[in-house]
Amino acid sequence: MIDVEQMRKSFNGTRALDGFTLHVGAGELFGLVGPNGAGKTTLMKVLSTLLPMDSGTAEIDGLNVNAQARDVKRLIGYLPDQPGVYQDMSVREFLEFFADAFQLRGARNRAAVDRALERSGLAGRSETSVEQLSFGMKQRLVLAKTLLHDPKVLLLDEPATGLDPLARIELREQLKRLQAEGITILISSHILSDLEDICTQIALIGGGRNATDAEGHSVLQLRAPQDPVRIYEIEVIGDSAAAVTIVNSLAGARTLESSAGKLVVEIAGAEEQAAAVLRALVVAGVNILRFDHRALGLEERYRMVFREKRP
Amino acid sequence: MNPMIRKELRQRMRERRGWLLPSLYLLVLGAVVTFAYFLTTNERGASGIQGSTVGVVLFLTLAYSQLGLLLLLVPIFSAGSITIEKEQRTLSGLLTSLLTSGQIWWGKFVSSLLFVLLLLVTSLPVLSMAFAFGGVGPWEVFSATLTTVIILACMSAIGLYCSSAFQRSVHATAVTYATVIAISVVTAIVFFVRMAMYETGHRGQAVATGGGGWYQIPLNIRVPMYLNPFFFLTASFAPPGQLYPAWATSACLFIAIGALAVVLTLRNLRRRGDL
Repeated sequence: MIDVEQMRKSFNGTRALDGFTLHVGAGELFGLVGPNGAGKTTLMKVLSTLLPMDSGTAEIDGLNVNAQARDVKRLIGYLPDQPGVYQDMSVREFLEFFADAFQLRGARNRAAVDRALERSGLAGRSETSVEQLSFGMKQRLVLAKTLLHDPKVLLLDEPATGLDPLARIELREQLKRLQAEGITILISSHILSDLEDICTQIALIGGGRNATDAEGHSVLQLRAPQDPVRIYEIEVIGDSAAAVTIVNSLAGARTLESSAGKLVVEIAGAEEQAAAVLRALVVAGVNILRFDHRALGLEERYRMVFREKRP
Repeated sequence: MNPMIRKELRQRMRERRGWLLPSLYLLVLGAVVTFAYFLTTNERGASGIQGSTVGVVLFLTLAYSQLGLLLLLVPIFSAGSITIEKEQRTLSGLLTSLLTSGQIWWGKFVSSLLFVLLLLVTSLPVLSMAFAFGGVGPWEVFSATLTTVIILACMSAIGLYCSSAFQRSVHATAVTYATVIAISVVTAIVFFVRMAMYETGHRGQAVATGGGGWYQIPLNIRVPMYLNPFFFLTASFAPPGQLYPAWATSACLFIAIGALAVVLTLRNLRRRGDL
């Protein structure tokens, strides 16, 4: 859906992007991480048609972002890193204006605005002045604005910055819902735990180029979208051998590590599969102290890639 | 209707200055015309003056003071209109919508010019006072209004260019005011200084500056005045046979400068590099 090849972009002699390459499949929720100045925002601006690139190619759904900018704009919804709002408008007026700007007129305009209000949870505040909204609500309003014309691709540049924990959770849930609707999402963020929770893959960018981890991967696979694999830590009382046998006998589950009283287990499939493993262990009489989904260690992997490159 | 025009007009009329400025404008204009009326009638005595003379004086006072006031107000409406989108970070939202750069420019231009034209229209009651005294015909009113609109449209276009070129409203407004001063004051100073030098050099020879005499002045001395809005307005009052070519020259210059400002503004909006 998003194909970037050897993209280069300079500002006054400074290379912001230096041959960056990226491929995002349709329906993916794809993360983009890198330190400040890595080129994330420049990449987002080029993909959203705001900036022309110097060389390379960038296509969204087969459309060239430089040459077919107007068609690309119909496909994408872009949320900048510091989105602005018109403070002197009401929530409805704000959405009506942007629906109008996307050539949605009359009944289509009203329908798009009503849907956006419902999606963003702002239906009860449609006549409220934008100025009176909290920061989190303004962020929801701007995200609602980007969804007005039903884009196939969302480009989100640091959408969680400045949000409180509850608003971040709501944003994550909303992004999951949008992905489930078939929208392809490219999201950059410094909040790695957020990306880890929702993204299927994460690309590393540093100095305008593809950064790689110790194994040479520039894209970290977190889980396949259709076949999620999660790692669980299980702590048991007593010998773990029985638990290992039970886990390995279940379809889609296998033990990665085991030590006295502790197992690391990989479980493929939805969360229901993990529940089935837990049930099987309990039924077999294994005394379980803890059954936790283990973070995939994106922060550690990020540190390993970028810490040693810092001056 | 262009969504930008609807949005801009809605926002503009909600601002406090949406009603404050027209009120102040009318107060100042009314005061100036009343002052001119009493000055004219007191100087010549109420019995010895013709009504048409009072009408002409009031009309000329109104036309020049109106142009002066509007030249001061144009930068306020035009120079901040694109920078405000940058300052409140809404420009990227406009540029990634299906609005073209031309639509964005047109929306900004129409709203800023319409507000200035609203001020022109609100001054009609004051203008009707001049009509009541006679001496002024519809042609004079039409040509003066057309000239004022051309000047204001050009200045709005320049204000929008400054707005597209700068990041901050305060900088764009300052440069637009500098441009207004340059074309209104500096051109006149340059003309009069060079004229004085020319007259000193040609002492003994009659140099007429009115009517057909204007064209006896060498072109290189006359040129700056074609860019002067007050000269342009003066040219619109002259009979067509005398200063009409000067009016046409000024009109072409103002329209050309305005068009250049439009092209440069659209280029800045399309470059988008300063978001």
